[in-house]
Amino acid sequence: MIHCCKTRVPVLVLSLKLAYIETHRLKHALPVDWYRTGLNALPKPFFSTGGCRVVSLMRTFLGAGALLWLCLSGVSAHAGDDWLPVVPEELKMTTESLAPGAPAIYLYRQVDRDDQSGHEENYVRIKILTEEGRKHADLEIPFVKNLTKIRGIKARTVRPDGTIANFDGQIFEKTIIKAKGVKLLAQTLTLPDVQVGSIIEYKFTKEWDAGLIYDSNWTLSEELFTKRAKFSLKPSTSYAVRWSWDNLPPGTDAPKDISHVIRLDVQNIPPFRTEDYMPPEGELKAHVNFVYTTSGEKDSDKFWREYGKAKNSGIESFINKRKAMEQAVAQIVAPGDFSEAKLKKIYARVQQLRNLNYDKEKTGQEQKREKLKDFNNVEDLWKLGYGYGTSLNWLFLALVRAAGFEVYPVIISNRSNHFFHPKLMNSFELNDNVVLVKVDGKDVYLDPGTKFAPYAVLPWSETGVSGLRLDKEGGVWVQTPLPDGSASRVDRKALLKLTDDGTLEGKLTVAYSGLTALWRRSEQRNEDDTKRKQFLEDQVKEYVPVGVEVELTNKPDWTSSAPTLVAEYKLTVRGWAAAAGRRTVLAAVLFSNSEKHTFEHAERVHPIYFGYPYEETDDVSIDLPPGWKVQSTPAEKIQDEKVVAYTLKTENKDNRVHVIRDFKVNFVMLESKYYAALRKFYELVRTGDEEQIVLQPAS
Amino acid sequence: MKSKLFCNLPPEPWLSKLPHLRFCGFVLAAMTLAAPNAHAGDAPPWMRALTSVALPAHDDKDSVVQLYSEEILNVSSNGKLKSVRRVAYKILRPDGKDFGVARGYIDSETKITGMRGWCIPAQGKDYEVKEKESVESALPGVTNGELMSDLRAKVLQIPAADPGNIVGYEIEQELRPYVWQDEWVFQSTVPSFEAHYTLQLPADWEYKSAWLNYPEAKPVSIGMNQWQWVLTDIKAIKTEESMPPWRAVAGQMYISLFPPSGKAQQRGFDNWAELGKWYTGLLKDRDNASPEMKQKVATLTASSTATLDKMRVLAKFVQTDIRYVAIELGIGGWQPHPAEEVFLHRYGDCKDKATLLGSMLREIGVESYHVVINTDRGAITPAMPAHQGGFNHAIIAIKLPDSVNDPSLVAIVQHPKLGWILFFDPTNESTPFGQLSGYLQENYGLLVAPEGGEFVRLPTLPAAMSGIQRSAKMKMDPTGTLQGEVKEVRLGDQGRGQRQALHGASDRKEWVKPVETLLSHAFTNFQLTKASVTNLDRPELPFGYNYEIIAQSYGKPAGNLMLVRPRILGSKSSELLETKEPRRYSVEFDGPWRDTDTFEITLPPGFEVDDLPPAANADYPFASYHSKTEVTGNVLRYTRSFEVKQLTVPLDKVEDLKRLYRIIAGDERNTAVLKPAAR
Repeated sequence: MIHCCKTRVPVLVLSLKLAYIETHRLKHALPVDWYRTGLNALPKPFFSTGGCRVVSLMRTFLGAGALLWLCLSGVSAHAGDDWLPVVPEELKMTTESLAPGAPAIYLYRQVDRDDQSGHEENYVRIKILTEEGRKHADLEIPFVKNLTKIRGIKARTVRPDGTIANFDGQIFEKTIIKAKGVKLLAQTLTLPDVQVGSIIEYKFTKEWDAGLIYDSNWTLSEELFTKRAKFSLKPSTSYAVRWSWDNLPPGTDAPKDISHVIRLDVQNIPPFRTEDYMPPEGELKAHVNFVYTTSGEKDSDKFWREYGKAKNSGIESFINKRKAMEQAVAQIVAPGDFSEAKLKKIYARVQQLRNLNYDKEKTGQEQKREKLKDFNNVEDLWKLGYGYGTSLNWLFLALVRAAGFEVYPVIISNRSNHFFHPKLMNSFELNDNVVLVKVDGKDVYLDPGTKFAPYAVLPWSETGVSGLRLDKEGGVWVQTPLPDGSASRVDRKALLKLTDDGTLEGKLTVAYSGLTALWRRSEQRNEDDTKRKQFLEDQVKEYVPVGVEVELTNKPDWTSSAPTLVAEYKLTVRGWAAAAGRRTVLAAVLFSNSEKHTFEHAERVHPIYFGYPYEETDDVSIDLPPGWKVQSTPAEKIQDEKVVAYTLKTENKDNRVHVIRDFKVNFVMLESKYYAALRKFYELVRTGDEEQIVLQPAS
Repeated sequence: MKSKLFCNLPPEPWLSKLPHLRFCGFVLAAMTLAAPNAHAGDAPPWMRALTSVALPAHDDKDSVVQLYSEEILNVSSNGKLKSVRRVAYKILRPDGKDFGVARGYIDSETKITGMRGWCIPAQGKDYEVKEKESVESALPGVTNGELMSDLRAKVLQIPAADPGNIVGYEIEQELRPYVWQDEWVFQSTVPSFEAHYTLQLPADWEYKSAWLNYPEAKPVSIGMNQWQWVLTDIKAIKTEESMPPWRAVAGQMYISLFPPSGKAQQRGFDNWAELGKWYTGLLKDRDNASPEMKQKVATLTASSTATLDKMRVLAKFVQTDIRYVAIELGIGGWQPHPAEEVFLHRYGDCKDKATLLGSMLREIGVESYHVVINTDRGAITPAMPAHQGGFNHAIIAIKLPDSVNDPSLVAIVQHPKLGWILFFDPTNESTPFGQLSGYLQENYGLLVAPEGGEFVRLPTLPAAMSGIQRSAKMKMDPTGTLQGEVKEVRLGDQGRGQRQALHGASDRKEWVKPVETLLSHAFTNFQLTKASVTNLDRPELPFGYNYEIIAQSYGKPAGNLMLVRPRILGSKSSELLETKEPRRYSVEFDGPWRDTDTFEITLPPGFEVDDLPPAANADYPFASYHSKTEVTGNVLRYTRSFEVKQLTVPLDKVEDLKRLYRIIAGDERNTAVLKPAAR
């Protein structure tokens, strides 16, 4: 949901020292967690480069349970001793029917923010329901020295009998981080006499320089259930403000602008749970986001058109070096090359350039000593031979255009940390780029700015996302392709012998292709052979549900963008066969561990989210020891649910058991209502994987 | 204490250093003869001298080797202490970048007066970083009740910590320690070429040194009341799972300093008794009871007549009503808050809780003593030299009155002077009065009495007091679907862990998850149809789960046969010792325990047993395992027991443990074969 509000506009001076260098964007090809870490390490955007200035700052620094502000019924917040009355029902309560067993709940939260004068008031009332819940009586309120101030902290404990223990202890100031020019501190305290049944309350005011617009968002979902909460924002008059909300509890009225104050009154907010395979948390929590802009544009089509024009103009200016690019192309391609061959050569050449996003982390001194030169256009970039991922893509665009292709810049929204909401008109959400080339009438999306990405393979977070294909008219919306699972495979082929003591031993070959190869190469790019060997051996250990001895025997190609990464091993699995009286049994599927504990819980709250579709095939041959023969093998299993599929075939010939297993995941996201069916599918997979091959003495 | 239950911070010696350097051995020669003229930004001569040293023995997995380390402690005649620490590493692998960080600690007793780091790259000019570029940090967040501590770290990132380069740093500190004692921990996880410790004392001072886990090296006198110890080629300690604590294996030297009598209040410790006296001094008047406390004791014990009942109710009060909150500033890391404050605010840390309980017990005429201890068994033993830094927890030893003699009190030992004493940990909210958690059992603690400190060995509880007793009564239908109920009783630490997990859940819906996770290891396809928890909030009673399940495809058809695993759920085997590298250290168990399983499966109509797996029997001094599968009528019955009897499996018995785990793993995979019943 989106709402906009146009206000008057004198220009403000914003004093945060957060410069954004667009070229620091990290091109990536890794799973969510890795990328999240990587991205957080980089400067985040402060101003967009387009016509719309957005002031949307990171919501950090303020810790859980500490970010809650006071103001009641539109009255400005205060840090005096005027606590809200405690009603007998609150004192008596021993449990909350909507959160049975909860250690504590928020009875009430209030956050009132004033972006005109730069302050925010918080009020929190928590009911302690179990001994574990008493930990919420320890408070830590972080703040950034010289940027924000915490004042007027008041706290008290209301005992179960209604008597009051006011906090009169010491408030400690803890240094969390102190470095050059930055001091992140925290006010820390603990409330007295907190017992099961107590109510704890606290309030405080946070202040910052008027004019600084900082972290204007409301996150409603917390670790604890919230019975009631009120929020208000008095927006800055210097910018137009838009707001959007999502996942509000059913029956909640949308945030309303009442006399230039945006208000929200909400009840019964469930505690936030984390689950395996869920989308980014920010997309799931109940929240209201505010975006300030200098543009009061309410029509998102117009907004993006204007943004696209400005962006396109900037890119054209950066790549407008036709002659230099033609000379460069002449060095890369041969006159007789066919069109796609030319394109592949240019792609490979750009990918060979030094991609600064993939350099190891360097200290300031190292960077200074390296004296990297700035580049203002693609000619500079080509001459220097290095650049960041984004700029390398624009260099590729310029070269491809010079080679005579129809080619477009595309700015996209990377889905590793959040999803794109075009109606919000937040240009920062278009935070990544690719290049669209018309090849024999077909659209091919390319990203040579991602190291190790094979030709025409985008990193997973750039697949299936919206983007603006730019032109001088502003551009059109496009969707990047979402390759099916066959483009990202793990193929395991094993030739094994079963020994008399039930051990399997032999050779294993694992081939990773597409995205499965890309993220492994990226993750291990700065490691040495010893670490990479350990990494690959650990991967095999994760495939097998029992302990194995594994030794990598080849030297995989870690440095290229070849579509496949192949690893070969010597493998020993002790005790794979189990005794069954005079018979011996062994599970048909050796590499079953990946699915063994997936979706083990019956209940699901959030949608199911995989980074990308993928497929796995196991082709395992087991030679039986002399004196044994197969009594029975599992029947063929075929379970095809379209978005997921599983087959298991077992053959027995010449005392060799041959098992072929296929496993396919062909979706990225499923609503939680499909969880039960998906879980059932995984149960069937596990059941198939545990089917037994029965051996008996040959005589 | 400096840290609470379950914490054991790595040792950080508070001393080292010296301004006027006197080197010996290779480094001295190299510095004086070969040091180039230094320029601003160049690495210092002591580091430059390392560029040509031979690397100590190492393997291809070592990320770095330590070329040099030096701790210098300088005590001036006015009692001021200064220290210098110098360390240099050669980076061998990319992983070694983590060693390109200088880290110094600051607290109320310690300040950093200088901090610099350097890198000598294989090619190019040296790098230098200074203290102003460092980052200072404390632990963010209130984790596990650690609200406030004055301990902070100053961290300096050294540039270019890349393979082939040498990184090093120097940290100077001024110290005001509460106890004049130093620890030189010279052995680490990486091999070391050369390590020095230099001590400079005023003329009339003395020192005593003691060595641990390493052959003693004699010092060389290098000046007036100045000594130096030098070690070379120190092997790395490769960490292993379930190994003894670091303090029990790493080479260390302890130095106690003794000023001439009357010159300084502080001094080092000659023995543990002295340390106990020092701690007794910190406890002085801390256990005074306020009128409100006396009133509370009277109220709490009003309905009890027996002393034991009164003790129980007071212990329960401190255990549960006093919230764990640690505020450790200055001596507050060692000295408890006054009992009356702890009582008033209803919060405190381990030593505060012990103090309050001791005070309240005294009101009913029961004497008690603080016991300082380390939660890692083996980190502190009487064989070690007396030192302050090895403790991280405080509990209480209660002198049992003659009238108190109850079989539920098992955490007891008979002390030659005090008679029967009961150990109790009021910080641990879910261990009943009379018992001890595994990590405290067989552990050594320093019992603090007015006449001094004395090591006591805490008792080992019977294995049967901890563990999981699981029983299942199931029926199988001809399709292989298993259905029935499971009862679990979790005793001792096994119950404690589950209680903590459930108490931490955001709501009751989450309670089912531990059971689902357990079942997912046993069944490929299951529904949990009913589940309940018993005695969640009554730690004095056994914790339990009762649940009912339907597990499809449990029986695996194989032709006309049906394969059934008699061991329905739960695993006792371990991959701990299935490693490429041979084991280097003993295996330490958390505590003694005894698990039992009794599983019954009523066979599907039309089937009878064709083959049963063999029984498994393994008996070792440290553990035993027995299982058998039987058929009685149409019921397949599997029973087993697994008992850990000794808390340490010595290195020479580790292969036996590996064998035992393999026997268990094999037994757990074993299968019974059913065939169509004869008509």
